[in-house]
Amino acid sequence: MKYEGQETGASQSFVNDRLRIEYEDGAESRTVRFLGKSFLKDPNDFVLPILTKVLQESVEAKKRIVIDFRELAYMNSSTITPVIKVLEKARVGVGEITVIYRKSLKWQEISFSALIIFQTTDRRIEIVGED
Amino acid sequence: MSQLELSITSDWGKIAGINENILVFLESCELPAESANRYAMVACELTENAIKYGSFEEACSSISLCIKVGPRDISIEVTNHIGGGSHEYLRELDRTIQWIRGFQDPFEAYLERMQAISRESMDADRSGLGLVRITYEGRAALDFFIGDERTLSVSAVSEL
Repeated sequence: MKYEGQETGASQSFVNDRLRIEYEDGAESRTVRFLGKSFLKDPNDFVLPILTKVLQESVEAKKRIVIDFRELAYMNSSTITPVIKVLEKARVGVGEITVIYRKSLKWQEISFSALIIFQTTDRRIEIVGED
Repeated sequence: MSQLELSITSDWGKIAGINENILVFLESCELPAESANRYAMVACELTENAIKYGSFEEACSSISLCIKVGPRDISIEVTNHIGGGSHEYLRELDRTIQWIRGFQDPFEAYLERMQAISRESMDADRSGLGLVRITYEGRAALDFFIGDERTLSVSAVSEL
């Protein structure tokens, strides 16, 4: 696996092939940004550890996680699996997560709007499509 | 009728390049960018399955991808060799396609599969979403057949 990690204070960047995941620790929330294209064969080896760690740390810091897919140009179906698992883990447990996708990109609207099944009535878990 | 035929190795690292080649072809067929992206996704999901579950023991074994764009529809077919231990995969493929056909709206199948994934353990590494995504996002009808020389062909056909 091609894997690069870079840490600079409150932000980190992880690269695997054409997918870049940027992590930023803000005052009120932690943002995990997906950029590029994901053709990952085993996203559980790359994406899941990042999301699980951020979820755990965010719960401890009492901060919301923002998972931002707006700059993602393509993903294979396997890539959504760790996202589903982390959303469910937070849904039945603790943690606040906002998933943001780009509504104007048809494939994003189709893929990510379906995550609405994990949204909670108190918006602790929320799925947001932005134009 | 425009046609693209590619011979693909089992090297996962080549999928990104294949995706780009397919996009160039589909755009040359004057499909809108949104449709080109959708059908490139379908072709890549089928190719990923062929790499994951195909047999590449023989030196000449490769995957063949054929995309035909007609005036009314598009067909995408991926063919690969299958080994002696592929019975379970073929049964699973058959079950999955029959299961998807049981839904009037493929969106319901997609949601049901996502819910099933959410109930699986964190380390379960098989998504099983690819075929469902092809029917839901790709708006394609799936089928497969076993060829004479131990080959499996999986096709996705969609109206343009």
